This record gives sequence, C-alpha cells and structure tokens, in this order.
Amino acid sequence: MQANTTIIVRPWNAATVILRTTIMSLIIITGYAFTTFNTRDVDFWAGVDMLGSNFSALLLTPYLKNITFDVMIRNLFITIGLGFLTTIFGAAIALGLALLAAQNLAPRWLTVIIKGLTAFVRAVPTVLWVLIFAVSAGLGSVAAVLGMTFHSAGYLIKAYAESFEEIDNGTIEALKASGANWWQIVFQAVLPSSATALLSWTFLRFEINFSTAIAMGAAAGAGGIGYDMFMASGFYLNLHEMGAFTYAVLAFAVVLEAGATRYKASLRK
Amino acid sequence: MPLLHIAKLSKRYGTDKYALDSIDFTVATGEFVAIIGPSGAGKSTLLRCINHMIPMTSGDVLIADASTKSMNATQLRAHRTQIGMIFQHYNLVNRLSVIENVLHGRLGYKSTAAGVMGWYSNAEKQQAVEILQNLGLSDHMYKRCDQLSGGQKQRVGIARALIQNPKLLLCDEPIASLDPSAAKIIMDTLKDINQRLGITIIVNLHQVDVAMRYAQRIIGINSGKIVCDAAPHSLTPDIIHEVYGSEAGELILDFGEQHAHA
Repeated sequence: MQANTTIIVRPWNAATVILRTTIMSLIIITGYAFTTFNTRDVDFWAGVDMLGSNFSALLLTPYLKNITFDVMIRNLFITIGLGFLTTIFGAAIALGLALLAAQNLAPRWLTVIIKGLTAFVRAVPTVLWVLIFAVSAGLGSVAAVLGMTFHSAGYLIKAYAESFEEIDNGTIEALKASGANWWQIVFQAVLPSSATALLSWTFLRFEINFSTAIAMGAAAGAGGIGYDMFMASGFYLNLHEMGAFTYAVLAFAVVLEAGATRYKASLRK
Repeated sequence: MPLLHIAKLSKRYGTDKYALDSIDFTVATGEFVAIIGPSGAGKSTLLRCINHMIPMTSGDVLIADASTKSMNATQLRAHRTQIGMIFQHYNLVNRLSVIENVLHGRLGYKSTAAGVMGWYSNAEKQQAVEILQNLGLSDHMYKRCDQLSGGQKQRVGIARALIQNPKLLLCDEPIASLDPSAAKIIMDTLKDINQRLGITIIVNLHQVDVAMRYAQRIIGINSGKIVCDAAPHSLTPDIIHEVYGSEAGELILDFGEQHAHA
C-alpha cells in the first residue's frame, strides 16, 4: 500500500549525482588542505594578531620617511600622467579603427578582421605587452607607454565599436537618404549619439590605466608612485610609508570617480 | 511628363520570393499618392527602392524620364537630395537640437568638410528658421529632440526633408506611432505641403480611412504586386478586402463616414 512505500522526492539522476560528488570532493579537499598546511610553526591566532597590527601600521599611522610630501605628489602625478597619456593615445587610435570595426558603418569583412586582431591584442595582458616592447625599448617608461597604449587601443576599439553599433540605425538611414556621405554621417549622427558612451568607456579605461601605471612603476621601472611603493615595501620594509602612498592613490581615485560622474551627468542633461 | 516612373521594378532578397514583383506606375508632379497594403507587402521596400536605399533587383526608377539605374556615388547623392524622406520613428539625432536636425537635410548639398564641421550658410539657417516657423516649432528651435513629443518630432522630420527643397517626399508610415490628434496635424501638414509647395508626396499608410481622406490616388499592394490603383472615391470595400487578402467583414473599415466626406 501507499502508506508503507517511501516516496522519493529527489530521485537519483545524472544531475544530482554530479552535484553531490562535486560537493563531497570539495569538502574532502578543503579538509585535507586545512589539516596539511605548512604553517612553519606559526600560531594561527598570533598570525591574525600580526595581520591586524600590520594593517593598523599601514592604515592608521601613515607617514613619509624616505621621500618628502612634494616628491610623493610629483611621483603621483607621474603615474597619473602615464595613465592619462596611454588612455589618450589609445583613445585616438581606437576612435579611427572603431569606425571601421562597427558593423553598421563598415563592410563586414573589414569589421571581422579588425575585431579579430583587437581580440588578440586584448587576450595578451597589458604587463606582457609592456615586457614585449621592453625587448626593443628597454625596461622603463617608453616600454610602459607603448605596451599600455597598445592594450588600451585594443580594449577601446571593441568598446567604441559596440557603442557605435548600438545607436539607432534609423538616424543613419535618414541622413543617408538625404544624400549625406559617410564622413558627414559619422560626425553629424554617429558621434553625437554615442558621445556619452565613448566618454564612459574612456574614463573607465583611464581608471584601469591608472592602476596599471602603478604596477608598471614597480614591475617595469616606469617610475612614479608605483616605484616609491616598490621601494617602501621591498627595500625599506616600511609599512607606514606604504600607508601614505596608499592614501595618496586612494585620494586620486576618489577625485577621478567624482569628476567622471559629474562630467557624465552634465553631458546627459 | 511624369515626375516619377517606376518601370517593371522588382526586388528579391537573396533567393526568397520576390518582395516586389514588376511594379509599374507613374506619378505626375503634384500628386498625393497613398500606398496601402498589409504588413510585409513590400510598401517600405518600394519607397526605399525609389531613393536607392535598397538596391533594386531589376527594372528602373526614372525621375523626369531620366534613368537612375546605374549611378556613381556623386549622382546617387544628387538623386537623394531631390527626394525627402520621412520615417515612422522620426529617425532624428536625439542628442542634437531641433535646428541642427533640420539642417542635416542640407548635408547632401555640402562638401564633406563643411558637412563634417556643421558649417551652414546664413541662407540655409534662415530657411531652417522659416520652415520651423511654418510648422509651429519656432519655440522649440534650441531644444534637444529627445525632449519633444512624438508629433513634434515628426514635424522636425518633415522640416528636415523640406529643407532639401525636394521634388518628391517619401513618407514611410508617418503616423503609425502617433496618437490621432498628432496624426491629424501631420497629415494636414503633408496635405498643405502638397498643395502650397506643389511637392509630390508618396505616403505608406496602414490606415485606409486616412488614405481615403487625404490622398488623390490610392495604390494597393499585396505580396509585392499592385492590386489596385484608383482614386479614393472609386474604392469599394471589396477592393480593400482584396488588397488585404481577407474575407469581407474582417477589417475595421469606416466606409459610411468616408463617403459622407466625399
């Protein structure tokens, strides 16, 4: 009778078997990892305590020791300059090529070629491009500018082209029907319609390039605040100075974000 | 001499069946022609073949007895500048002001550089202002187009077409997105343009009653073929049903009122 048979709510099938074995394996791996860590005899709670004191040294007691405030600000601007320059170069290259990569503006074969090439450029990380250019330019600011410009252009071509593709095709049709040529349509309809989108993407890339520029200061010897951070952490082992640099970077990031938001709002009006 | 002669015009997309199948008719200068027919009948394709926005498969479009079949880029531009076009969705650049959108109608006459930079002559600006005044839009001249109502946007679209000084105005469903009162203003405006400026108008319409009230001549299209070509008063419900390929009584038609008007 019905009363004696167990009713199975979740029957065994391929999906539940896979899900359950996955969860079980994760639990076993986690348990194994935690019991076999090489802790080098450091006590866990002592470690947590040290982490806390490091963070308080970094964030609560920042001060400068090896360089002056003026030098720090100057180096911050070097980093900002590196980010800005590579964004502008990348944007200029991207604006031209994105027009040829947008499906509503260029023949299909051309868009496929350009989009394919930029996908390749983007797939290789920025740092690798900098190191590749360092082969011919030597490690330093030149390689950083070239490599970062290269990757920025690849990124912005895709972003711009997609912004162009999103505009109302009717406006292009209307201007074409009135006898306007390609350049006139681009400047009178396509660019005005996609201006805010282009600006958003450019600001976003500037934020990315700013943080990349910090890393390049340390990794590629491009100078700026990144190099100061590299020295403070790896050479002087000074967390307080590191904290001061962190706040300087943070302050600029906040200013950038606020500025970008305001500028975009004023454009949208 | 007819202004427009559409000669055995056919259009085929890929290897599908013909979207337009040997369309043949002439339009005299100053005519107001309405094209009716079900969705997908080929009305929009027909209009776009006239200004070569869609390349035709065979046949020809003659303007003042001159073939437009094989044109180079310069001739094509010159051909399009003579023909204004108005769209269902207005197709304005929403982020630009009303007057900038109107002046876009002059781009076909300008050099690439002047068009790119947006350099317009004083006479052109003067004309834009006059057209906007005539259409009752002078208060909105510097407003951005996305701040306008649908009816106002369509009037900007008409202004953009008029500043081309066109011989022919092609209107693709100009009132399909408008409420009845805005639609009446647009149709009255088109009628006025036709009568006062003598500009020939071809308009695609979904509303049979509107076509009968405003047009001098109605061309019915179904499946890429002309089904009827007649003056509004000679249209009967039977012919309309034939155009739409439906059984009698299945259409919303207001014939009693129409005949009362006529």
